[in-house]
Amino acid sequence: MHQTRPAKITSPIFSLKDGYVRTIPLALIVGAVGIGASLFFSLGDGLSDGSLRRFYYIYLVNFCFLLSIVVGCLFFVTIAHLTRAGWSVTVRRIAEFYAACITPLFILFLPILIPVLMNSDVVYPWVHGGWSLHDKTEAAAIAGLPLAERPPIEVMKAAYLNPIFFGIRIVAYFLIWSAMAWFYLKTSLKQDVTGDKKLTLRMHAFSAPGMILFAAVLVFSSFDIEMTLSPLWFSTMFPVYFFAGAALSAWCTITLTASWLQQTGRVTDEITTNHYHDLGKMMFGYGIFWGYIAFSQFLLIWYANIPEETFWYNQRINHDGWRGFSILLVAGHLFIPFFAIMGRTARRNRKFLSAAAVFILCMHWVDHYWLIMPEYDSVNKTFTFNPLVDLPCTVGMIAVFIAFFCLVARDRPLVPLRDPRLGQSLNHVVH
Amino acid sequence: MSHNQNQTSKLVGLLAEFDDPDSLVHACDHARQYGYKAMDAYSPFPVHGIDPAIGIQRTKLPFIVLSVALCAVCLGLGMQWYTNKYDASPIFPGYAFKISGKPYFSLPANIPVTFEVIVLSSAFATFFGMWLLNQLPRLANPLHRMERFKRATNDKFFLMIETGDAKFDRSRTESQLQQWGAVAIEECRQDLTDIKLPSWLKLGGVLLAVLLLLPPVMIYRAMGMTNRHPRLHFMPDMDWQHKFKAQRMSPALAEGSYLFADLRSARAPVAGSVAWGHLDTDGEMYRGIKKDWTPKVTATATVGPSVSTSTSSQDAAAAPPQEPTEKVAPPAVVEEDLTKYVTEFPEGVNVNAELLARGQQRFEIYCSVCHGYAGNGDGLVNARAVALNATGQATWTTAKSLHDPIVKDAEKNPLGRIFETISVGRNTMGPYKDQIPVADRWAIVAYVKSLQETGIKPLLVVDPAAADAPAVEAAPTNSSD
Repeated sequence: MHQTRPAKITSPIFSLKDGYVRTIPLALIVGAVGIGASLFFSLGDGLSDGSLRRFYYIYLVNFCFLLSIVVGCLFFVTIAHLTRAGWSVTVRRIAEFYAACITPLFILFLPILIPVLMNSDVVYPWVHGGWSLHDKTEAAAIAGLPLAERPPIEVMKAAYLNPIFFGIRIVAYFLIWSAMAWFYLKTSLKQDVTGDKKLTLRMHAFSAPGMILFAAVLVFSSFDIEMTLSPLWFSTMFPVYFFAGAALSAWCTITLTASWLQQTGRVTDEITTNHYHDLGKMMFGYGIFWGYIAFSQFLLIWYANIPEETFWYNQRINHDGWRGFSILLVAGHLFIPFFAIMGRTARRNRKFLSAAAVFILCMHWVDHYWLIMPEYDSVNKTFTFNPLVDLPCTVGMIAVFIAFFCLVARDRPLVPLRDPRLGQSLNHVVH
Repeated sequence: MSHNQNQTSKLVGLLAEFDDPDSLVHACDHARQYGYKAMDAYSPFPVHGIDPAIGIQRTKLPFIVLSVALCAVCLGLGMQWYTNKYDASPIFPGYAFKISGKPYFSLPANIPVTFEVIVLSSAFATFFGMWLLNQLPRLANPLHRMERFKRATNDKFFLMIETGDAKFDRSRTESQLQQWGAVAIEECRQDLTDIKLPSWLKLGGVLLAVLLLLPPVMIYRAMGMTNRHPRLHFMPDMDWQHKFKAQRMSPALAEGSYLFADLRSARAPVAGSVAWGHLDTDGEMYRGIKKDWTPKVTATATVGPSVSTSTSSQDAAAAPPQEPTEKVAPPAVVEEDLTKYVTEFPEGVNVNAELLARGQQRFEIYCSVCHGYAGNGDGLVNARAVALNATGQATWTTAKSLHDPIVKDAEKNPLGRIFETISVGRNTMGPYKDQIPVADRWAIVAYVKSLQETGIKPLLVVDPAAADAPAVEAAPTNSSD
């Protein structure tokens, strides 16, 4: 017979304790070595002429990868409050910590932002003019138009795509995200002490306008940070694509973190098989959602067959190296996880689910690599993989990110201690 | 409850009543451990832990749905392959049409439909698979005839052990249930007196099935047939409304009473009326016929019989094949008066690069489907029709090549005659005056002349000086290629 658990934390260890003190310096050293090695090898990269271009691009890939995880976790916290979710209370704090990492993550964006503000087009081609002129006659011939005098696209987009406005927008995005993330974390931590139920109501009330704000910021930030690498391209589906990947990677990261915490003897009683089961369902559902959105974006462009849109897919599908990546994405990002975590048994197995989460996160990294790196060789769009630059940077950035997490989490409780729905979450059962 | 003889009713099982969910789960535990299998528990709400207590295995429904969904992938793709790609079946031919230059069978275009087929099939598989696993539909259940059982949806909990179980024993099972905490035990009996289906139900079912077959049979029979009967009118007062339409027969105001004695809805226009915006006095511009030309009455009077001889000749699209000779023709073959057509562009039509570009664009919209982009008479419609013609599925007179010497001849086909051909059609070619405005028709004429002169499709931008020459000066050159 089913026994109702009291709404009490019973795990002996429910915080990182002093683990974070040891982890932060170690992670920072790994991060510095990795990023430094990447910088060093980037100087010798054949295409970049010693201008660190390769490094900037792989740095942006990893930044977008980490940003999507953080933003996805912020989405998780917001939607949990918006839907008054009870089941997710014991894993919500992990997401709150990750979401609060948005503030230090801004520091990681400075190496990208400062060159833009200093008028360098080492990352974003739109900083300097000339990117929309070279195919003007061709575009006119394709459209069947006489060479009428209409302003080139870069002139029409200049009001939006200029360094100053870009900088203002980026600061605004991170301010809004930070405000949301820290509001949730601070309020939730306060409740640990006071147990005041009104704090939960306040977070509920904030979550609805917060979700609208979140959506607006997500749309424009994904345009700005990732899509403007190819400023000629058009796709209004892109922010949804970014969001689907972000939410999916957030579910994976939360699962993985919870699993690692339990592996190291923390919060052993609070996160149960039923929570993994539901996290697994979310991973499954958002994996399908990602495939649905990715395909929708592709189908519209494929069917309309307009040169202004198809060139983007053309260079990713019809160039030999990128074709392999495209196939890898379809198989690894959609179909393999789809069949792997479809079953109930697989979802209720913590270790299997963690392995699936690692796999999906790898695929999510590949996704951002596939989005960003073809723009590195802006002329030929050839496939380039430089392991000496790409891998150390990836390892280093992830290590820095772990340091950020420890910095935010410190010895704070890893589960909400006195959330009014704690009992509901502890007694959560999935059939 | 009266249970008399074995002939009128049959014992189905023993129904035990419990007061609370805990004792029900305990009883289920005991029953399972003892080895009962054919049993079921009933409660007003889902009880935690009842499934393992009663020994229910996890449902196989997900695997049924997965198998059906995988079959649906084949079904969805196969259906599209059959209808879009495979066009050779004699019974139900497909629709192998080229759309947007895409391949007949192409995975991206087929995924949405496949996806929908998967969703629909999975929903059906879930719904009807659940029926199947629960042995539904069950038209009657003896439990529903027990007064006590009604509280299963309210505040009581029940466990029924069925007689079909190998370990079932009327008295032992009863004592066991009592021992496990049942507050009341009752026999559940099935009434055998009215167990049979009404006899008319079978006949009705067969009749219904036959009736359901009728619509598909009728559709199949009507497929590809013409019908001489008027179509059905389900709402005649909507199809034939009681109102006045311009220049039609008027509806009756009352029995045998009309607005006008001649039964028209309106008065006929006064002789010589011209519709607004259709004055078109400039014959050169609107008809391609010279201002100073007057029709010869004798020539047009006998046009009737002559038409048939000229159309039956091989030459279909352009000028009749007779040599342009005397003014007075023999009575059997009436000579077309070629002198009436203008040989130069009328005033107001300025032949320049802009007009030629416009003419090319219009030509490629309206004319190229039959005459081809280069005017060789090899357009897509023509190609398709010729292919159908070869197998006898259609009759078709091939479109004229605009580079045919007769079509090219400026004397046999002056500019005005080309304009007239476009406007009102010629032989099997239909009229285009309703589709193409006058200025555009002249633009097409100019483009056709330039096509004939160059023999190939000209470039998008033509030098104005060079463009003027072929259009106007085409007449005397009379090239032979």
